[in-house]
Amino acid sequence: MYWYQILSLASFVVCLIIYSFILLKIIRLGKPRDYAKPSGDIQAGIKYSFTGALNPRKKESAYLHLPTYTAGLVYHAGTFLSLLLYVLSFFYLPYPDLMKIPIAVFLLISGLAGLGILIKRISLKKMRTLSNPDDYLSNVLVTSLHFLTSFFLMGYAFAVYYLLTAFLFLYLPVGKLKHSVYFFAARYHLGVFFGSRNIWPPQNA
Amino acid sequence: MIMSEISKQNLDKALNVLNTEEDGKLLTHLNACVHCALCADSCLYYNVFHEDKYIPAHKVELVTSVYRRYKTLSGKYLPGLTKAKDLDDKTITEMIDLLFGACTMCGRCVSHCSIGVDIAYLVRKGREMLSALEKVPETLQSTVQAAVKTGNNMAIPVEDLVDTLTWLEEDLKDDTGDETARIPLNEEGKNVLYTLNPREPKFFPLSISAMAKIFHAAGESWTLSTEMYDVTNYAYFSGNDEEAAIIARRLYETAKKLGVKRIVLAECGHGSRAFRWEAPNYLKQEFDIEVITSVELIEEYIRQGRIKVDKSKNRLRVTLHDPCNLVRLGGIFSQQRYILQHTVSDFEEMNPYGYENLCCGGGGGQLSMSEYNERRMKIGGLKANQIRETGAKVVVTPCHNCVDQLLQINGFYKLNVQIKTMAEIVADALI
Repeated sequence: MYWYQILSLASFVVCLIIYSFILLKIIRLGKPRDYAKPSGDIQAGIKYSFTGALNPRKKESAYLHLPTYTAGLVYHAGTFLSLLLYVLSFFYLPYPDLMKIPIAVFLLISGLAGLGILIKRISLKKMRTLSNPDDYLSNVLVTSLHFLTSFFLMGYAFAVYYLLTAFLFLYLPVGKLKHSVYFFAARYHLGVFFGSRNIWPPQNA
Repeated sequence: MIMSEISKQNLDKALNVLNTEEDGKLLTHLNACVHCALCADSCLYYNVFHEDKYIPAHKVELVTSVYRRYKTLSGKYLPGLTKAKDLDDKTITEMIDLLFGACTMCGRCVSHCSIGVDIAYLVRKGREMLSALEKVPETLQSTVQAAVKTGNNMAIPVEDLVDTLTWLEEDLKDDTGDETARIPLNEEGKNVLYTLNPREPKFFPLSISAMAKIFHAAGESWTLSTEMYDVTNYAYFSGNDEEAAIIARRLYETAKKLGVKRIVLAECGHGSRAFRWEAPNYLKQEFDIEVITSVELIEEYIRQGRIKVDKSKNRLRVTLHDPCNLVRLGGIFSQQRYILQHTVSDFEEMNPYGYENLCCGGGGGQLSMSEYNERRMKIGGLKANQIRETGAKVVVTPCHNCVDQLLQINGFYKLNVQIKTMAEIVADALI
């Protein structure tokens, strides 16, 4: 292993430890005790929160902004794929070209989606007002991950790839990228809240 | 200027609102917003004014930026990275203006948030902070104080209430032709303790008559309490859980003292929410008395055949305004529709309706805070358009707060419609 691979792996382990700590804390705390008698089914509410409530036809944030929503979906798919490929990279698996090229192309597309989201953040006043340096940095790091993973698959940018991931994993627990954990917790808590009050699943769905 | 008025103790109390050590829900929602701004379209204020500060995420940011500054390592040592903010004059002024003056806590943005951040919950947390800093707008705080000190938010003396109820009882006897018809006061061992919104005895006594007629028709065993009848709890809006608990405890203990089986909450969105859903948590106890809303009770009467109604008695086109706290945040959706299906001949839903309905603009304590009247009336324009599009002549809503706002919208936007409570429309259909 090269030194930059070791560095990357070390930061990955640190990131995993911190994320595990965050996750364990969320699990330990669970949901706040609610003394009000539920009128609905909390489990059904949680299930709906992760399924029907995420239906783009149900969310203005999706159906009123379809290009952004689509870019977001592609971008997140590319992120998870990149993380998976990062882990696999240490196993030195031989990828056939038939598999490698489509994946690399997809990651270029997902990287472009991320770039599009970044341009939107920079160009729209309402997003600039809301944004902080962490928003820009997080996007740049993750978008770069997509592009570099693509290049890495095609046999380029070996060292740069591991150096970027080393920095990315150290940065993951610092800023907004933590939403990769909190997203799931937020959906859970919404499911509890709306499920308990018989709002989710909706009666008119 | 503001900070110099705030004691260290109150500042600590405000920051303690953001303690996440034992609260996974708070920890989660404080850390989940990604600043995508896609919530903007779900907010009445943003839709009307198109100013960035009204984006729900911006309101969330007011709370989370303070959290980051005081409760996270990155915020303490690298505040510029995440724009972590000091709780200073500028932040507090902005919090007052936006969390009190530009949010009805209608929760419409919550289900539309791309992540699932409970924005209304965080706005309430921000209000809790402002309450700890003693920065609740005086207009709202005086409403809370009236309730805490006198037992009702309009400080109506008991004698005035009793006078009103006495002549309403006379009217009830005339209207029903039954000399035994009554509006019982402070009677023990009844099935139902009914509550009122103080606006009813003060301004809208006919809605009390309407409910009394329904109780009479159903043969219900019921009572009012002159000691505690106020269904509202404006401390829910002001963000003061201690005062909210005082108000809630009074109603619960009154019900216990009278030995009733059910507390029936009058038509009041936030009042229903504050007592049905929040009060057990203010008091840290599960209630051993059933708590339901009058909408649920009326639906039950119709389903069980305890009251007979004729929908041909309400011939004008009717539309329904769904109060946010009762429907989107309280889960009462089908009951009011069942009632209207049986009591009006021509019903037209608004678009959108139900869980997606637009707030009337009077929620979140806005009707109490006269300093924000101009904004309130402007955002009410969206509701006015919704009503106009239905072609309805009557707007029914099971919430006195919404009734007030709708009456003002009716005049301001010249809608020329009647505004009625659910009890009123049902009473009109009684046979």
